[in-house]
Amino acid sequence: MNVGLPRMHKEAGERRDFLPRFVSVLESSGATAITLEEGYGSGMDIPAAAYEAASSRVRFASYEETLAQDLVVVVRCPEERVLRALRPGTMLLSMLHFPTWPARARLLADSSVRAVSMDGIVDDRGRRLVEAIESVGWNGVGAAFREIAVAHPMFAHPERRPLRVTCLGAGAVGGHAIRAATHYGDPQLREELVSKRVPGVEVTVADFDLTWHEDYMVSRLRETDLLIDATARLDFTRPVIRNEWIGELPPDAVLLDLSADTYDFSLRPPKIKGIEGIPEGNLDQWVFHPDDPAYERLDPRVNTGNRRLALSCYAWPGLSPRQCMETYGSQLEPVVGLILADPAKRWEPEGGSYEQRAVARAEVTTWLSTAAA
Amino acid sequence: MAVDGRRMTLGLPRMRKEPGERRDFLPPFVREIAPHAAGVVVEEGIGSGMGVMEDEYQGPGVVVGTHEDAYAQDVVLVVRIPDAAELRLLRPGTTLISMLHFPTRPQRVRRLRRMNIDAVSLDSIVDDEGIRLVEDPEAVAWNGLDAAFGVLEHTHPRFWGPRRQPVRVTILGAGAVGRIAVEAATKCGGAARFQRLEDAGLPGIEVVTVGRNLTRDRAYMRERLRVTDLLVDAAARHDPWEPLVPNTWIGLLPRHAVVCDLAVDGYELDTKPPTVRGVEGIPAGNLDRYVIEPDDPLWDTTIPAGVDSRNRRVVVSCYSWPGVHPRACMQRYDTQLTPLMATLLDRGGVGGLQPLRSPQDRALLRASLRGWPRRRGAALSRSLGADRRPA
Repeated sequence: MNVGLPRMHKEAGERRDFLPRFVSVLESSGATAITLEEGYGSGMDIPAAAYEAASSRVRFASYEETLAQDLVVVVRCPEERVLRALRPGTMLLSMLHFPTWPARARLLADSSVRAVSMDGIVDDRGRRLVEAIESVGWNGVGAAFREIAVAHPMFAHPERRPLRVTCLGAGAVGGHAIRAATHYGDPQLREELVSKRVPGVEVTVADFDLTWHEDYMVSRLRETDLLIDATARLDFTRPVIRNEWIGELPPDAVLLDLSADTYDFSLRPPKIKGIEGIPEGNLDQWVFHPDDPAYERLDPRVNTGNRRLALSCYAWPGLSPRQCMETYGSQLEPVVGLILADPAKRWEPEGGSYEQRAVARAEVTTWLSTAAA
Repeated sequence: MAVDGRRMTLGLPRMRKEPGERRDFLPPFVREIAPHAAGVVVEEGIGSGMGVMEDEYQGPGVVVGTHEDAYAQDVVLVVRIPDAAELRLLRPGTTLISMLHFPTRPQRVRRLRRMNIDAVSLDSIVDDEGIRLVEDPEAVAWNGLDAAFGVLEHTHPRFWGPRRQPVRVTILGAGAVGRIAVEAATKCGGAARFQRLEDAGLPGIEVVTVGRNLTRDRAYMRERLRVTDLLVDAAARHDPWEPLVPNTWIGLLPRHAVVCDLAVDGYELDTKPPTVRGVEGIPAGNLDRYVIEPDDPLWDTTIPAGVDSRNRRVVVSCYSWPGVHPRACMQRYDTQLTPLMATLLDRGGVGGLQPLRSPQDRALLRASLRGWPRRRGAALSRSLGADRRPA
């Protein structure tokens, strides 16, 4: 099977590509040829020679040529026009997010593309096997504390009071964010401050059973230094923190958006971010001061009257690209091993080995039949 | 044993720690692993603690044997560490896979080495990112918090009453167990209780997590403990000779407060310096009894003399929290262990593992006694990628 590894062309700050080790895994798993897009790895300063050293079956070619291979592996989903151009029979391994993009699933199935969604590869208990949720928590919280360290005059002073973090949501992302927050998002910085006897960080978690309680939330927000949105909402039409509540935060408080929710006024009722009135960031810009022009680019129907320094990024793991791709590469090893060992095989979500069941659950045909049921 | 191309036999003995220990591997796991082994011996009575019939295990390559038979196989898999008498049943060269806790049990490591046991410690099996592959922190946290809220809803004077303030939970530690404990606490330890809370329209749970850098702040801790309804110890301490919460601080907790012990540290007063529990002066429970009232005899039998235990609240503590719901626990371990056991048996034991071949090979090697001394020198761990810390 020939494998294609295209680059991701979402924004200039997107620097991630699979590492040479993953290429050597593809070869040892049985890939007959491995086609990398020109410039692959350059965002992380990895020279072409490193990939060529990892496998003698590597060659570099255009973006279009990488997409013409039997198996195409790319983390972020290509644009719709690219999906439409894939030839029938292509196997696509990518973050396809079928539940939130059902039209994409139908398009791929109708095009006879055998798509496997990385985010849909789950074990028998439903646990995702390909994810970088830990990086979401640590990268986001680390970035937020770097801003707090600059703005807080007593940040590293032994006489300051404990910093107060309020985390909305206690799920998978919230769990990592909480741990990261107790470490200032940086274990080395934490050790440094502990050794100086600087008081630490109190993390208060408020889930949806408490965020509705206005008296509690307002009193909590008044003493919050860092507010984190790590919610996974079922109702996107109502914010967790209304813009009026942002006005209750201290003036130097920081807002951190880990949820990657968006605004969408094409929907009725419209979709609103969990913290109302903060901009949508990406790998080119994730820090927004209250006077940032990004606020003016938001739909005018978004209430942005109350502002604080805000951090938001659609792809937080991309802030540490090499570490992120080490994670994904390692997690995908058994998946590509399975695919390349027997490309024609059809896996069953209730049969076969542990890996076969996990990958079968992520196939577009399985997902569509499950969704239809 | 059983290398040189010969396929290996597998033994699955039962655990006999206390009557409340009901866990055994489940039939689907045995069926899935059997084709990778030369034969599987399951101990008679397997599954009975969970209502599983012995004949559900029957299948090609699977036989029922005695406790001794199960321990006489090439590879022996048992979740909790066998006791001294059971260890003596192992033949030299046996591969023993169990929760062996190499880092904190140096005497055990020396003994296994003396016995020429090819041990693999389940608690040391980590992936390339250093994340444990065989564990059940969800069960530790959820089962522990369920037990704790089960007590608190009776001790708290207004838990189900109108116009109460949010229930306040303080969690020590934000590691693997602590993170999940946060989620479990926000859901009152269980879906049914949480639903009842929602239906009643009562304010939910405020959870505060404090890490090591704040537990040292006496003023903060004393203030926080005074308003804490439920104190949870989920800390993995670097200095186990220092309690995080001295016994005198327990006296600051409201009378109705509950202490939930998820850390299950031990007292070892004959070591230098002596190691103590994170919350000083609380007893240790087990699967037979994990709710311990202030006047329970366990305070006298499990706390060494010399440890201050004068300040008491109701404690929930269990050495094996996952065992409270044995079937769910074993389903999880079965899922986690299937690819690892298949790899180990396919390779003919630890000696046949190939670090460049698969993540499972590397994970098993990191957890093996063969890799342990080299791991301390970091050479093996670097070559296997284990020194990469999580972000």
